[in-house]
Amino acid sequence: MKNNKFTLLILGVVAVTGFWISWVSLNPSDEKAMATFVSVNELINNKINKRIKLGGLVKDGSIVISETNQLECNFVLKEGSSELYVKYGRTRPDLFKDGAEVIVAGQYNNGIFYADELQTKCASRYEGDLRNESSYNLTEVLQ
Amino acid sequence: MEILRDYGLIFISFVLSMIYAIEPLFMSKLVDINKRDDHNSLKRKKVMIYRQIKELEMEHDIGNINDKDFAKMRDELKKEVSELISQIKSK
Amino acid sequence: MTPIAGGVALSLAFGFGLLAVLTLLFYNKYQDQRLFLVGQRLALGVSFFIFLATFILSYQLIISNFDVDYVARYTSIETPTIYKISALWAGQSGSLLFWLFILSIFSTITILQNQHKHHELMPWVIISLTVTQIFFLILTNYVTNPFQPTEADFIVANGNGLNPLLQNITMAIHPPTLYLGYVGFSVPFAFAFSALVNRDTSPLWIQSIRRWTLVAWLFLSMGIILGGWWAYQELGWGGYWAWDPVENASFMPWLTATAFIHSIIIQEKKDMLRLWNMALIILTFTLCIFGTFLTRSGVMSSVHSFTESSLGPIFLFFVFFIMIVSFGIMYTRLDVLKSPRKIESFTSRESGFLFNNMVFVVLCFAVFWGTLFPVISEAVRGTKITVGAPFFNQINTPIGLILLALTGIGPLLAWRRTGSKSLIRNFTFPLVMCVIAVILFFLVGFKGYVVVSFSLCVFVTSAIMTEFYKGIRARKNKFNESLHLALMKIVSKNRSRYGGYIVHLGIVLMFIGFTGHAFDREKEFSLQVGQVDHVAGYEFELLKLTESERPNHYAWISELKVTDHQGTFITNLYPEKRVYFHRNPDINRRQPHSELDIYSTLNKDIYSIFSSIDNDNKTAFLKIMVNPLVRWVWVGGYILVFGTLIALWPRKEK
Repeated sequence: MKNNKFTLLILGVVAVTGFWISWVSLNPSDEKAMATFVSVNELINNKINKRIKLGGLVKDGSIVISETNQLECNFVLKEGSSELYVKYGRTRPDLFKDGAEVIVAGQYNNGIFYADELQTKCASRYEGDLRNESSYNLTEVLQ
Repeated sequence: MEILRDYGLIFISFVLSMIYAIEPLFMSKLVDINKRDDHNSLKRKKVMIYRQIKELEMEHDIGNINDKDFAKMRDELKKEVSELISQIKSK
Repeated sequence: MTPIAGGVALSLAFGFGLLAVLTLLFYNKYQDQRLFLVGQRLALGVSFFIFLATFILSYQLIISNFDVDYVARYTSIETPTIYKISALWAGQSGSLLFWLFILSIFSTITILQNQHKHHELMPWVIISLTVTQIFFLILTNYVTNPFQPTEADFIVANGNGLNPLLQNITMAIHPPTLYLGYVGFSVPFAFAFSALVNRDTSPLWIQSIRRWTLVAWLFLSMGIILGGWWAYQELGWGGYWAWDPVENASFMPWLTATAFIHSIIIQEKKDMLRLWNMALIILTFTLCIFGTFLTRSGVMSSVHSFTESSLGPIFLFFVFFIMIVSFGIMYTRLDVLKSPRKIESFTSRESGFLFNNMVFVVLCFAVFWGTLFPVISEAVRGTKITVGAPFFNQINTPIGLILLALTGIGPLLAWRRTGSKSLIRNFTFPLVMCVIAVILFFLVGFKGYVVVSFSLCVFVTSAIMTEFYKGIRARKNKFNESLHLALMKIVSKNRSRYGGYIVHLGIVLMFIGFTGHAFDREKEFSLQVGQVDHVAGYEFELLKLTESERPNHYAWISELKVTDHQGTFITNLYPEKRVYFHRNPDINRRQPHSELDIYSTLNKDIYSIFSSIDNDNKTAFLKIMVNPLVRWVWVGGYILVFGTLIALWPRKEK
């Protein structure tokens, strides 16, 4: 096969790939495909309308589970000194509790964040894993 | 006490390892590894080509290669092997 | 042995490593054979001290010496012994030491295996392996040391203990399996790098690393599948792949490695694609290190790691170092990398392999693009845009299906050129089956990608069957063997090829499993004893709700009766809601955990989760998922492993 055909083939593949990836990046078919990751502060100040992803800690004592429907819950997301009121209506991950590190995704509307995704940190301990916990089970352990 | 024992054991491991590592420097004869290595690699090349011939025969049996192409490719490989064999014999 | 000995062993390993590299560099200059032997032995010494350090840390874990910070963090007196051992790779510093441990095993084997072979290549092979060891030794000596003593001014009587979520066998074997894969590619890379430096163009080194590559690939594949299996069984979101950055980090090297496995076949047989192969193995190794980095550094926000540390920059430096040095040297050796032969025809197996390679690389790039999208978008636009599973699925599905198609087309092509007679003979049966399949699936009511995927599965399976048939028939004609014997013989005499076909079959089965995802259904609802609800045509009745106090947790157990739409009893499911550390006075230290129950058949999985309990009203909140065809993914995985083992089965040397 001549060198030209070969090079042409590779260029063709590169072109098609570039086109396909750019097209999907600009036209994702599912609304949940992309989310803008911002800080709580930015969200409150700029009242962003798009699909948003946020990270932070669950404010201690802020988790409120509805009496009528155990699936519905509200809590306050804390990032630094900024706080945000979040509503979430699906099965909560096991690690979701006071002080847990969470990531939520959804829409911001009138001061409330309506989340349709809630993730907590994986229990596998790699980075900064004990940042928020005191080191050892001292209450059970002190002799 | 335990720490002393550990430091001692580690020190001994270190010394032994260093002795093991440096020992070749005291060898007076330079071992000629290269020649044997070349001979080995020629032999391995020969085995590889034999395998290729076998696989070629299998492909022909299956019907992937027509008789003309098969004969041509097999002759090429057989020529390569005989060259190698004469090279090996000369060493 | 005290932990101090461990720290000293690591320092000695580091020192020996530097000495080994220096000595070998001197050997390259002065060509004094004795220097080579010294360098080789020093390299073995590095591995020796790493073995020592690993055994010391393992010992500290087993005897529960809480004076070592690592032991206190990841184990407690109550931790079962097997998890005390697996704690070796549970935490960051331990897992880096474990990486070193495996690398040292491989380095030792490589050195010992090649004492009478590849004499020209070995110096740079050893240098390459040792430099990698040095990098990880820098991390474990100066950045995160597994032997760091516990910071406390009292005697720590008990440690943190291992999170109950991690106390299951799969989570214990998933990291080591993955590491065996990641680390495994350092050996092929070392040989490739050495061949590059030495301007060695013979295919002999490729033959030597073929085994290593296949073994590393096998472990990487198993590690990835195990990770998916664990996520599905334990994490409770009903899926096995989320396109999470860490998952992607293991998938990318798998893609380039698979491409490499295919293209070295071509280089070994036809001495083509030298440049391409070199680039692929460099890329694969780099992606393995990058994958290790992504898991550790917190660059991406993922369920595995949310924060940053000093580890990241050092890893990133090593990644760039590998790429710059390797590609730099590659540039200076371009003349040697030009293959003498060219691809002769589009309908050749060579061109099929090349095309499949390109698609693998394209897929890898697509995954890379999606994974790094937040970083790229932040650099370009200033806002961090994250992409989720739907994005990856949209981009990757067509590419994956093209790959599936190629899996069937490739083996049907002949080397050099497939004449039109052969083309017709080989492709007729698979194409006919494929067309029939398309029609059937449309009639059944499937649409879009589902039809494409299932039809391609039929196509590839027919193609593989054609190959087996041709082989068996040839033996029958030549040797008059029975069907059974002919099958055994043809596979046994062509282990790579037929093993490979079996692996492809495994992939087809996995694709069947993947396609089932399009039919997933789920529902969340609450039940009191005696009540029923319905999901996807199944009826769920809560028969019983009991409580039980067990040794290390408290459990609420639900008994669900599952019947189908005709009233036939299917099974009972017993999902549980557990709380670990339930006696801890601090509510926030108690760990809830949903223990799923899954009813699995080839047809579908019924997946039950006990999300939460309203104890006052004795109401159970449940999430039920009906996931068709998931089992095919695991079955396909087994077949893939089986096929690889056949390809690896050693031949008796004449």
